[in-house]
Amino acid sequence: MTESEARALLDEVLVAAQGREVEAVLGGGVSRLTRFANNEITQNVSENRVELSVRVVDGKRTGRANGNDLSKEGIERLLDSAAAAARVQPEIPDLLPLPGPQSYRSVDADDSTTGNLGADGRASEVKRAVERCVEAGVTAAGIYETGRGTIGDYGMVDAMAIANTRGLAAYHRGTHATFRISALDGAASGWAERESWRASDVDGAALADRAVEKAIRSRGAKSWDPGAYTVVLEPAAVADLLTDLSWISLGALAVQEGRSFLSGRIGERVVGENVTLRDDPFHPLHRGSPFDAEGIPTRPTTLIERGIARGPVYDRPTAAKEGKESTGHSLPIPNTIGPLARHLVLEGGAGPAEALLDGIERGLWVTRVWYTNVVDPMTATLTGMTRDGLFAIEKGRITHAVRNFRFNQSVVEMLKRVEGMSEAVRAGGVVCPALRIQGFHMSSVTEF
Amino acid sequence: MRSDTEIRATSSSSAPSSFASGVRSLVEQALDTARQRGADYADVRLLETAREDLQVKNAQVGSVDRSDSVGLGVRVLVQGGWGYAATGFLTKDAVDACAAEAVGIARASSGLLQTPVRLAPEPPHRAVWSSPCEVDPFHVPLERKLDLLFRIDDTLRRVTGVAIAEGFFTFVKKRQLYVSTEGSDIDQTIVRSGGGYSATAVSATEVQRRSFPQAEGFHQTRGYEFIESIPWVENAERVGEEAVALLTADPCPQGERDIILEGSQLALQIHESVGHPAELDRVLGMEANYAGTSFLTTDQLRVLRFGSEHVTLMADGTLPGGLATFGYDDEGVEAQRWPIVEDGLFVGYLTSRELAHTIGESRSRGCVRADGWHHVPMIRMVNLSLMPGRGSLDDLLADTYDGLYLETNRSWSIDQLRYNFQFKTEIAWEIKKGRRVRMLRNPTYQGITPRFWNSCDFVCGPEAWKPWGVTNCGKGQPGQVAEMTHGAAPARFRKVNVGVGYDD
Repeated sequence: MTESEARALLDEVLVAAQGREVEAVLGGGVSRLTRFANNEITQNVSENRVELSVRVVDGKRTGRANGNDLSKEGIERLLDSAAAAARVQPEIPDLLPLPGPQSYRSVDADDSTTGNLGADGRASEVKRAVERCVEAGVTAAGIYETGRGTIGDYGMVDAMAIANTRGLAAYHRGTHATFRISALDGAASGWAERESWRASDVDGAALADRAVEKAIRSRGAKSWDPGAYTVVLEPAAVADLLTDLSWISLGALAVQEGRSFLSGRIGERVVGENVTLRDDPFHPLHRGSPFDAEGIPTRPTTLIERGIARGPVYDRPTAAKEGKESTGHSLPIPNTIGPLARHLVLEGGAGPAEALLDGIERGLWVTRVWYTNVVDPMTATLTGMTRDGLFAIEKGRITHAVRNFRFNQSVVEMLKRVEGMSEAVRAGGVVCPALRIQGFHMSSVTEF
Repeated sequence: MRSDTEIRATSSSSAPSSFASGVRSLVEQALDTARQRGADYADVRLLETAREDLQVKNAQVGSVDRSDSVGLGVRVLVQGGWGYAATGFLTKDAVDACAAEAVGIARASSGLLQTPVRLAPEPPHRAVWSSPCEVDPFHVPLERKLDLLFRIDDTLRRVTGVAIAEGFFTFVKKRQLYVSTEGSDIDQTIVRSGGGYSATAVSATEVQRRSFPQAEGFHQTRGYEFIESIPWVENAERVGEEAVALLTADPCPQGERDIILEGSQLALQIHESVGHPAELDRVLGMEANYAGTSFLTTDQLRVLRFGSEHVTLMADGTLPGGLATFGYDDEGVEAQRWPIVEDGLFVGYLTSRELAHTIGESRSRGCVRADGWHHVPMIRMVNLSLMPGRGSLDDLLADTYDGLYLETNRSWSIDQLRYNFQFKTEIAWEIKKGRRVRMLRNPTYQGITPRFWNSCDFVCGPEAWKPWGVTNCGKGQPGQVAEMTHGAAPARFRKVNVGVGYDD
């Protein structure tokens, strides 16, 4: 949906509001995904949808209704449903009025080639990647996904356009291309990914080569004992751990409720002084939306600066509690989760990840982690598995494959023991470097 | 075995569905267009979904959201390759474009195929099916539902030390018209109701939570009568008190202990370590890039001693009230009931029409579902339950000399072949000489799936069996969320590694 189409539709909603205080949000677009496994295409899909979310604010009461019937009658039904929901509920004492007009930085994130890439184009890229795997005698599995708009994983839809009856009007549309590939050789496997705002950055064959190299190296994995190891975490592994950290610790509601390692510690040193963590949708590798779910401009926000806790991200309700301004990280209001940092940037160093091997007497190289979950929220202790390429580091060199470990590791403690970092890249939705960590806790071995 | 579900199947050649004629004509148009464009096979699902989410947190409304969605998805085979396209724009032009796109995508798929897809036969069904629903939750006034949530919230917050009280109800109604080029015409309506609440207590070093009736809520395919059958408020004070007591409880010991898993925790154990590895698409490598593969390779079928003789697990698309209970799956296959593990032996998979033949079966088990019209159907767990043994929970506790009783899931993780798992529960009780002697905080346990199930030596009987559920099961690319029921009674497992994860 173009900006003018979105504006026209949102204007219809505001006119139909007939004097009520209303926020209208449009999200959606087109999402296309080619999935392959066993060296063939196994699933190939395309979805095209737009969702309209309408929130009515009635004093200290508010109700929301969502739907995809964009007809005049459909819009009226949504407004009536939201108004009815608002009418019957008790007042929310902390509820704020809708925000007024805002101004936004523009983000160049819409690539027409990517937005229009069809099934044939995706199939060609997949074919090139699969051929590399077949030549190497391993099996390929993966995806090539492209899209335009705000359809996310698990069908979640973010705001593409927002308007409210106080004059706020926001619009942002981007494209995306993600290629992920696993190369499999029995229980041995390798993996690589590339995510960008444009398909021209995706090179399926090159990614296949990386995955194949790891799969071949993964053959004949030896079992090592659980224990604390010096590890090199590739950016995909770092991204996974930081994303969990964001969900449980980096929003102001978690801090205010005393559930975060940042609670009561703003201004103090909380991790190593070589760690600076920000949230920044304008980073050239993110090119995210310049506003949040209420239409508040998202500000680049420093969360941790050289090891010192600078503060969480805020939405308007949590900011109001502390007499601050929102940083523009709201989810749809009201909600019980609070604000969320979704464009993390962990500042990196220089050079490739391989440069971090130097001087490691005995350690582990972790390609990525899998199925992480929270063991202890206060210390941000996570458990999870290594996956798709766990290798021994001996005397500064990668020597052989190691059977995968389960880890139990506090991310906060981990960030106190960063011994080195590569240059930052984009991986798993985060801009981050590979990290060399001392004393990473591998707690049990699995069967492969 | 559909004791209290209503099945009305008909062999009539006329359409039995009461879907509006405009809707029906769009669906038929999509099927015609797919056929004309060259589809060898096509099915179309038009789905209307209504959902209501109500949340109350600390005496304030957290959300009152109503969501409605309607759209259709067209799934086709061309020269043995799959294509799927979905649209939320229900005009003739958009539906035509959608069907044509599905065929174009399938042609692109057919250019990179090792073996053309062939579907196991399924007789065409013409049927109307509904899950039982005495009180439509969408007809119950919002005030009444919110009032119950506020009463729960009030009771929780009266307990000194409860920092966060949260409660929610979710109601979903899905009505789907499914038609295929093979002649199926199925109009199916499923209503789901459920909810839950939790109390959280916080100290300088601990965040402790207790939930009722289970973590992530308790749901069934029933109407509002299901909500009214649960003693919500009656349990709130105990739940709040336990959350607060956990702040100062002793930590879970480390080492090997006999453990008893309460039913809802056992349900998630079943889900992660039995259900997912038994999905045949995983087994055959089709999920290798994301969810992973499986240790239950096809050479293990009817060979592997998955568990002890106490372990029998039944897959069941017909379980009354089950979250994955339906008349027909999303590729028109009738719901069925069959064993996955029988007296400890691994004997069955969760299958689809595409993959049934790979294990020598001539019919799909009916496990294919999508989480909406916008997503392609794939193999999803149906209800999967541990069959009850004998005796009550008190009998089991009395039979345990030295062990831990773990209740209510708090976190979960398992490797991509489904061997190494680790779970944390909200609370545990130390059992000495058959009695609960003290509360323990931060209980965790870890194991390797077949060894764990082979260590099972006691499963409680029907009086302790409940149909617990999962509503947040993620799978697929793009990711889809599914729900399913796992019935279980408390069971005991010998010499399990406990107290992991707290040594950093």
